[in-house]
Formats: sequence, structure tokens, C-alpha cells
Amino acid sequence: MKKYMLNGSRRDFIKKAGATTALAASGALATPFFARAAAPVKIGIVHPVTGWAQYSGSQARFGAQAALDEINAAGGIKSMGGAMLEAMLGDAQSKPEVGAAEVEKFNEAGASAIIGAYASNICLATTQAAAKHGIPHVVDVGVSDKIVSRGLENTFRFGPGFGAVTKAGVENFRAINKAAGSPTKTVAIVNEETTGFGAGIAGIMTKGLAPDGIEVVEVLSHPTPNKDFRNIALKLREIDPDVLIPSHYYNEGVLFLRTLQRQKVQPKAIYSVLGGASSQFRFVSEFPDAAQYVMDCNHWFDPGNPAAIALQAKTNAAGLHFNYEVFLAYTAMMFAADAIERAGSGDRGKIMEAMTNSTWGGSIMPYGATAMVNGQNTGAQPLVTQVVGNDIKVIAPGDFAAAKAVFPRP
Amino acid sequence: MKEFSHLVGWALLLIALAVVPLFVHSARWIDFLEMTLFVAVLGQGWNILAGYGGQYSFGHALFFGTGAYIQAILQVKLGFSPWVAMWFAVSGSVLVAASVGYLSFRYGLRGSYFALITLAFAEAFLVLSRSLKSITEGGNGIQVALNQDPEQAIATFQFNFAGPFLSEYGFYYTIFIILIVAFAITAWVERSRFGAQLVAVRENEDAAKALGINAFRVKMGAICLSAGITATCGVYYVQKFLFIEPGIAYGPAKSVEALFAPIIGGLGTLLGPLLGSIFIHGVGELTKATIGQALGGRPGVDLILFGTILILVLAFVPRGLVGLLQSGWARLTGGRDA
Repeated sequence: MKKYMLNGSRRDFIKKAGATTALAASGALATPFFARAAAPVKIGIVHPVTGWAQYSGSQARFGAQAALDEINAAGGIKSMGGAMLEAMLGDAQSKPEVGAAEVEKFNEAGASAIIGAYASNICLATTQAAAKHGIPHVVDVGVSDKIVSRGLENTFRFGPGFGAVTKAGVENFRAINKAAGSPTKTVAIVNEETTGFGAGIAGIMTKGLAPDGIEVVEVLSHPTPNKDFRNIALKLREIDPDVLIPSHYYNEGVLFLRTLQRQKVQPKAIYSVLGGASSQFRFVSEFPDAAQYVMDCNHWFDPGNPAAIALQAKTNAAGLHFNYEVFLAYTAMMFAADAIERAGSGDRGKIMEAMTNSTWGGSIMPYGATAMVNGQNTGAQPLVTQVVGNDIKVIAPGDFAAAKAVFPRP
Repeated sequence: MKEFSHLVGWALLLIALAVVPLFVHSARWIDFLEMTLFVAVLGQGWNILAGYGGQYSFGHALFFGTGAYIQAILQVKLGFSPWVAMWFAVSGSVLVAASVGYLSFRYGLRGSYFALITLAFAEAFLVLSRSLKSITEGGNGIQVALNQDPEQAIATFQFNFAGPFLSEYGFYYTIFIILIVAFAITAWVERSRFGAQLVAVRENEDAAKALGINAFRVKMGAICLSAGITATCGVYYVQKFLFIEPGIAYGPAKSVEALFAPIIGGLGTLLGPLLGSIFIHGVGELTKATIGQALGGRPGVDLILFGTILILVLAFVPRGLVGLLQSGWARLTGGRDA
């Protein structure tokens, strides 16, 4: 310091010392900033990976983790200096109370957001538990409209709910029917009535199809699980409706469609709404004959989206099936990551605000820009698919259709 | 002296349960304690009928579900206060129990026949709750409106958004009070003339009848008490989770939970259901935290270990944990096995 004083002016010294101090100070401040920013953002992922919903829960867990891995591989949350997303895995054991207990664990561990929890009754419990702690919760699959109708500010659903899917199911069917010269005069509905997701379908369908002169001639309800569909199939053969509209879970879907095949019940079309098996690659590969030409209005990815095709390949490579659980959970995680990116923070309140105001349009689903109303993405919509050969093609609505509907089926 | 030491022991246990949440500043562990006490109460309900009365029910979900449904329906459909609805819920469940009990005991159903009839009734109510859609909303289930106004927390019997203390401890102390009531009733059963008659019926019904005991009346009393306690769990469940549907209400899970805790803890003992519940939840949490954490990608491994431990306990500790403690205590004090 003395040397400086001797060789340079006092002003020069102050200038240099000031610059050095500023540099040191900026370094001192910057280092902990980066250290803080690089701290991982914890995300709770809760699904029923054991118990009755184990298959679907495991599929959904894979989807959420695949998204998280992709985000981290692409450099993490950039607005937070590349902070990684850290998954905290929870098993709801197919019980709502266990799901809620998992949320308490996530809260203790400092989760910034939660993704889950497949079944509607588990989602009701987990969203409520998360609301208590102000943790943003993105519902991946649960379609019950009750989930987003309770005024919980922390609850968001990126995909469509039951009401939206059924309504779209009616509209799309009317369009398909008209395009084929309106051959449908009668329909029969076969729905599950145990868990309630299929319970409201008859009323919506009856009302929605009436303007086209289509009569719902029979509504046949069955419990879940159901081990025998022979009576229902025989009844259907007797009433011989033009179109069958089933709505149930995977196992019942497989058994129902196989029973129809065995009993030679051959309506002009089988048009499922939230059909458990009707748009599942597993069903198509295991029972291709029973699956032929079955249509389904359900959650489906945008077939023209390269990221969706890449996820499909990754899912198949993992020995899993590219079903709705996978891509809905994947998208829910992506939606959460986008909100964290825009919030620039792991703060729950800021993330919640970012989710509420989200206009994200980068998903692999055919949704367009996100528009949250009371936590429900009103831009979400289902697609109609049809099994043709060993593939499942999108046939409606027109913007996303990759093939023309085969209706009436040969 | 023995009676006095028992009283002191219970007082210490209750004081410990009363103050433990004040030292546990963790919502996760409070939730763990809540569910442990919940299963202990559920188990105590079953224990009165099966442990003391020897009437093994496989369908206690019938009483849990009826309590839960009445609590939810009265609030949602008829606008009852939850504090009023709960009395109807318990009474309704007792009425159902009285009907089932009358039909079973009047016609002398015992042992596995009684177990099957309770299971059949639970299944019948499961079907009914799915079918009577105008009342139960079928498979959709009934959802109680969520209250987020802290000032209405007590009136609505919902503590999730009730402010600093109640939101943290409200449900814990609710189930703690229910536990005290349930255990007080069981303690009365254990010491009363009614309890002695119940045990006599359990040991040998024909001999009890020969001694002038009205076995039918005693068993009816036991099933009604048992149902009343179990129904409070249904009330608690609805208020905590604000949702009930047929599978949760009348499915086999609650029936199994109800019988597991007393069997593991000690059948026909006052402390058994509580010890059993602590053991089941403790082991479950331990296996989840160790094996489950280590093998996160292989879900269910912790449940396999949990199941194995339970099987070992059932196989090698037939008198339950209470029996094990009594043997251990007798060895320590050099006395005879209690």
C-alpha cells in the first residue's frame, strides 16, 4: 500500500482500491448467489405405486420422472442459475390417507411443488393436504371435476376433467357420424358405476345426442371390478344398437371388448369415452382382433409433436406402455417446471402465481396456450383415436387427425 | 398396589400422549401420530366384540362406513352441523349393529359363521352405497364443503385452515379425546359385571348360559358398544379428509385395519390395540424409511418386509405385544408369568 502511495497519486490509489473492492464485493456477493441458485428445487411426486392402482400409478411415476430427467439434462431451471429439479418419490398405496401423509413428508422436506396423484379420490386428499401448507399441486390424471371446484388456490389440473372429456366426446361423435352420412340411430351405453368416473356419462350423452335424432336405447351399468360381461354382451346382441359407448377401467375394458368379440356383437362402431383399454397400446398388442376399429375419446398426445414421439420411444424402451398416465404426468411436470422457470424461485407462493398466470403452450398435448380458470386448464382437450391394424391413429378433431375415421367399421 | 401402579401407568401414558405433539414440531409426525391413534380406536372397537366377547367380525367396515356416510350425508344433503351430525352417525351405526347382531345372535351364529355374516353385511352395504345414488352419490362419493375461514373452523369441525394451533394440533387432540373415551369404555367393560359376563360368553357360551347369563343380551351390548366406537372413527375420517366413497367406507381395508392392531397388540387387553397400532405404524414407517428409501425404484419392497415382520409377530408372539411385555416383566421381576 505504501508503494502505491509513493508511486501513484492519491486519487489513482482510491480509484484502484475502489475498483478492487467493488470487484471483490461483487465476487463475494455473486458466489453465494450462484451457490444459492444452484440449490436443487424439490418436487414431490406422489402416485399409487402399490395397491389396486399400482399399474397406472407406476406408469404415471415414470412419466413424471422422464420429464424431470429431461429438464435436468437440458440444464435445469435456467432462471435459477441451472438449479436441478430433485424428485422426492411418494407411494400413496392406493389409499387417500396415505397420499395425504406423503404430502406431509414432502412439506417437511421443503418441496416447492407436488405432482400427482393419479386416482381422483387420492387427488382430493393430496391437494387438500398440500393446500394446508400452501404447496402448489399439479393434478396429473384425476378427472373428477370436484378436484378443481373447491376453491383451493394451490390446485391445478393441466389435463381436461370428466365433464370436458364427455362433452368433447359428444361433439366429436356427432361430427364423425355426420361425415359418414348419419348412419347412427340408436346407441347403448355401458359404463362402470363403482368409482363414479363413468357414472355421469349417460345423462350427458342422452342430452348431447338428441339434437341429431340419436336415441340412447339402453344404459347398462356394471361394478368395478367386474369378472363377467356375458350377460351384458347377450343383452346388447338382443337390442342390437348401431353404436356402443363404453366407459370403464382397463381390466373391464379388455374383458368387455373380448366378450363382445366372442359373442359376435358387431355394432357399426364402438366409441368409448374415457375407455380404459380402447386406446391402450398394451391392449392393441395383446388382443389386436378385439381392438380393431375401436374408437376412444380420451387423453391423447399431439401425434405431430416430436417430443411426444421421443417420449413414446423412451417409454417403450423402458418396457412400459405409452398410455395416458405417462404423458399426462410428463406434461404435469413440464407445466410445473415452466412455472418454476418463470417464477425464478423455489418459493411456493411465486410458483403458484406463475401457474395461475401461465400461458405455456409448449406441451406435447394438443392443448394450445394454457388458460387456468379456478385451477383448471380450459385450453385442455381430449382427442378421438381409432385402432387400425397395430396402431392407434388420431381421427378427430380435424386439426390433429392423422387418419380418417373408419365408420361404419367393415 | 397393582391397581394403583396400573392407574399411574395409564396416567403417565395419557400425559405423554397429551404433551408429545407439543414437542414434535413436525406436521408429518403429528399426522403419523394421528393415524396411529385413529387405528388404535378402530382396533379398540373391534377388540370389545372380538377380544372380550369372542365374536370375530370380518366386516367392521360396516360400522365405520355407516358412521362416515351418515356424518357426510347429514352435513351435505341436509345442512346439519357436524357436531350434531356426529351423534346421528354414531346412533345410526349402533342401530345397524343392533340389527346385524339381532339377526346373527338370535339365530345362534357363532365363530366363522358370524365372521362371514358381518363380511356379507359389509359387502351388501358396499353395493347399496354404490346403488343409492340419490342419497350416497354412488361411486362419485360425497365431498364435504371445504372451509378455509379460520373463524368457522370449530363450527365446521375442520381444522386444516384454523390458524396456528388448531391447524397443527386440532385433529390430533380430537382423535386423542376419542381415544380416551374409547379406552375408558373398554376399561369399564373390563372391570364391570357386563364385561365379566362377556368374557364368560367368550370362554364358553353354554356354560355361561347355564350360570344364568343372558348371552344374547350381553353380545348385543358388545356389538352396539363396538359399533359406536368404530363409528366415531368414520366421523373423524370424514371431518379430516372431507370425502367418503363406497370403497373407503365399506371396502375390506378398514375391516382388516380394525382387527390387525388388537391381534398384534394383544387380543382382549385394554392396551393391545394401542400397542398394536404403534407397532404397525412404527414398523411401516421404519421399513419405508430404510428399505423403501434405499430401493425407491422398487416400490412395495418395504411392504413385503412389513408383511413379513407382521407374520413373524403373529407366529411367534401369539398373545400379542402385551403378552410379550407381561412375560418380559415377569422374568425381570422373577415372578410368574402374568
